[in-house]
Amino acid sequence: MTQLLQALVLGLLIGGVYALMASGLALIFGVMRIINIAQGALLILVAMFTWWMWRETGIDPILASVVTTPLMFGFGWILYRTVISRIRDQSASMSVLLTFGFALVVEGVLNVVAGNRFRSATPFYFAESFTVGPISLPKTQVYGFVAAVLVLAALYLVLTRTWTGRAIRATSQNPSGAALVGVGAAGTAALAFALGTATTGVGGSILSVLYPFFPASHYDWISRLLGIVVLGGMGSLPGAMVGALILGLAETLTATYGGLRWSTLVFYLVIMLVLLFRPQGLFGAKLREDAA
Amino acid sequence: MSRVRAMPRQHLVAGLCLLALILYPIISPWEPYPQGVILLGFMLAIQASSWNIISGFAGYISLGHSMFLGLGSYTVAICALRWGVNPLWLMPLGGVTAVVVALLIGTVVLRTSGHAFVIITIAMLLAAQILAVNFKGFTQGSDGITLELPFWSRDYQNIPFYYIFLALLVLTVLYTAWIRRTKFGTGLIAIREDEGKAASIGVNTTRFKIVGYAASAFFIGVAGGVYAYYLTFLNPVGSFAILGSVVIVLAALTGGKGTLYGPVVGAFIVQLASEAATVYGGGSQTRVLLFGAALVAVVLFMPAGLLPTIEARWRKRHPVTVEFTDQAGALGRSPATTRERALEDVAQAVADDLTQGEVLLEVRGASKRFGGLVAVDNASLIVRKGSITGLIGPNGSGKTTLFNLITGGMAADSGEIYLQGQRIDRMPPWQRGHLGLGRTFQVTRLFKDMTVQQNVVAPLPDSRWRTMFADAVSGHEAARAGELLDIVGLRRFAGERAGDLSYGQQKLVELAQVLMLEPQLILLDEPAGGVNPSLLGRLTEVIRELNERGITFLVVEHNIPLVLELCDPVVVFSRGRSIAEGPPGTIREDPVVLDAYLGDDWRPVPDGKAPNSVQTANQTGAR
Repeated sequence: MTQLLQALVLGLLIGGVYALMASGLALIFGVMRIINIAQGALLILVAMFTWWMWRETGIDPILASVVTTPLMFGFGWILYRTVISRIRDQSASMSVLLTFGFALVVEGVLNVVAGNRFRSATPFYFAESFTVGPISLPKTQVYGFVAAVLVLAALYLVLTRTWTGRAIRATSQNPSGAALVGVGAAGTAALAFALGTATTGVGGSILSVLYPFFPASHYDWISRLLGIVVLGGMGSLPGAMVGALILGLAETLTATYGGLRWSTLVFYLVIMLVLLFRPQGLFGAKLREDAA
Repeated sequence: MSRVRAMPRQHLVAGLCLLALILYPIISPWEPYPQGVILLGFMLAIQASSWNIISGFAGYISLGHSMFLGLGSYTVAICALRWGVNPLWLMPLGGVTAVVVALLIGTVVLRTSGHAFVIITIAMLLAAQILAVNFKGFTQGSDGITLELPFWSRDYQNIPFYYIFLALLVLTVLYTAWIRRTKFGTGLIAIREDEGKAASIGVNTTRFKIVGYAASAFFIGVAGGVYAYYLTFLNPVGSFAILGSVVIVLAALTGGKGTLYGPVVGAFIVQLASEAATVYGGGSQTRVLLFGAALVAVVLFMPAGLLPTIEARWRKRHPVTVEFTDQAGALGRSPATTRERALEDVAQAVADDLTQGEVLLEVRGASKRFGGLVAVDNASLIVRKGSITGLIGPNGSGKTTLFNLITGGMAADSGEIYLQGQRIDRMPPWQRGHLGLGRTFQVTRLFKDMTVQQNVVAPLPDSRWRTMFADAVSGHEAARAGELLDIVGLRRFAGERAGDLSYGQQKLVELAQVLMLEPQLILLDEPAGGVNPSLLGRLTEVIRELNERGITFLVVEHNIPLVLELCDPVVVFSRGRSIAEGPPGTIREDPVVLDAYLGDDWRPVPDGKAPNSVQTANQTGAR
């Protein structure tokens, strides 16, 4: 019973972190219909950067997200303006290839610069835990969760309370309608891409303490995130939240009862099952698809 | 036309290259290093050509195609060890496993259109790697499997492998060329260009995509078996490598996806570049970076690929003049006898299940909502055999939505639809097409990058496999497409790109395309929209001729004089349902219709000469 409770709580904690990471992917897909395969690689990039800052200056890895988030926002904006926007007129498959190629570039650069070995940031509280009754919660997990929830709340406020946020949501629901009421598609897309990329700032910093990582581990992360957004419904932010919690729980439970080596397969299994029984995902809605 | 003449030249170059590659090991047998590089080029070309079937022809990008190489390797290696057989005899089994897995994955993910496929392909490749590690009893896990050494004398080096891979490559290219020639291949390209339209002309898009995916897996699986023997060792990380998939995509993209030789040319370019990078560029550590950068560069700067880019340049320099604006040509009659025969063939295809005047299509209480908007509201409609039924009504009255419900482009929220007494509203669009239901679109939806001939040959009148794999380039199907082009008078444009034709000509081609379905009933959505008067006269003449030979029409049109002249009966739609129905004479004086659509200023000319009021009617209709 204690083991189950422990697994459930840990699942929820990690689910919160996944939710943050997946929200960027869902946001970008919702507005631009682009599957940003590079999202995983950017997470690893930030994790590496955070690790390096922590080792050089001793700054707390999770607090470092105060630095990495605006950095990634700017990076995303520049990336969209200089590269991604060039293929707006081409088919969706080309954007997948482009972001995939970009992910490889990031992986390759990290390989060359940092070398192909595992790293993990280990601040002083790394091995400590909070104890609540019978269950113990690693401090890294709790802090990571808190940071993720804070940023998600901020993202929610930006999307609902600011003009920019409403423009982004309007564009994701009805691009031509948004354009008609004066929302510039290109500017909105750049902002949405930048916001989506900014989530990898926090996400990557949290990642650096939660999991060991190396350049090629971005594949694990992008498949986790893809599983989450497929489950939630491509492009749906609430879907990404719920999908992340469900998969966080599923992964922790599998690891607890089925062994660690099977837990990564949960994501692939979920993707297949969702596509088999509910291809539009939990929160996916079918829009009016006829044109002309 | 130039395309037809350019083809033999391409094949000639390909043949010469093949000859050189066959002779190379014979002329200089003691060069294992270059032979090894070329051999890997063959293997990459096999993979890129296979990938081209699902991702180049059908446009569904797979990022996990190297999974099939791994599946083939493991199948052959495991079976060879268990049964004590030489791996070479088992290589077809590798292909079989790849096809079976592709069918399973395809059945799950290819029922829908859109983004799920690319995600699944990456996910399955990564999952395959984990499974290969975890199922230790079967795959020996991370330790990998070691195979026996080749049975031939060391003096032959890897030359036998060289010829096996070359033979496989030739087979793969012939096989993709064959697929490209069939209606199956035309259908795959139709799916890439416009999946909804493809479904409306009888292409069973689900089946086509799944078969296409399976077809693209086979030769990679076979090559995988040989590759395992060539390496004599395989492990999960090497067999299910992401980088393997990247190289496949990169090769096909570089050479030109969707073309026959593009992936092969691209494979050799990528293979040589990769080899050069390994030798001069600091080893395999930098490969990820290089391939990633190359992928980004190709997508950004040469998305069409090398061969299509060269071809486009060549065409620019050697333009072929075609008089697209030649009205006389467009309207010109084909020899009357051929045309008459073509029309008779159409009449033959219309089976005589029903006699004139019986109910052919019946819509009972159909409704369709978009959120709060009720586009079609409990509508009922009857179309009788042999009629040209007109459907008029103000914009937004639900006419096109009703068309979409009838042809299956959308599912109705409620109501029933019957064709010849058979309920069709739960069927996919292509099945309705096979039952004899064809449609044209308000804005023409031809496959713009295909030729006129390919456009007309693409539809499938039935669901038989024989039809699917029928030759589309020559033979019966192609001849029939030519006949149908004769009917609309556009045969001389058969070899042109459909997107280059004038709008009115495209409308005529779309009509010929629908005729390929051997339809009982054709739904025309605003046939006169954007068509000049002389071409319009041609169009109505063709509609009349086809109607005399047994084809029924349901026509949505805003050109009221045309409707009143051509159609009987006329149905008037308003706010998602029919408000009046009857012969044109009655409709034009019906007060309800005048109120809802025609307007009070619509005054029929007393002596009944409707054509006199064409101008005012056009203006009224347009508003």
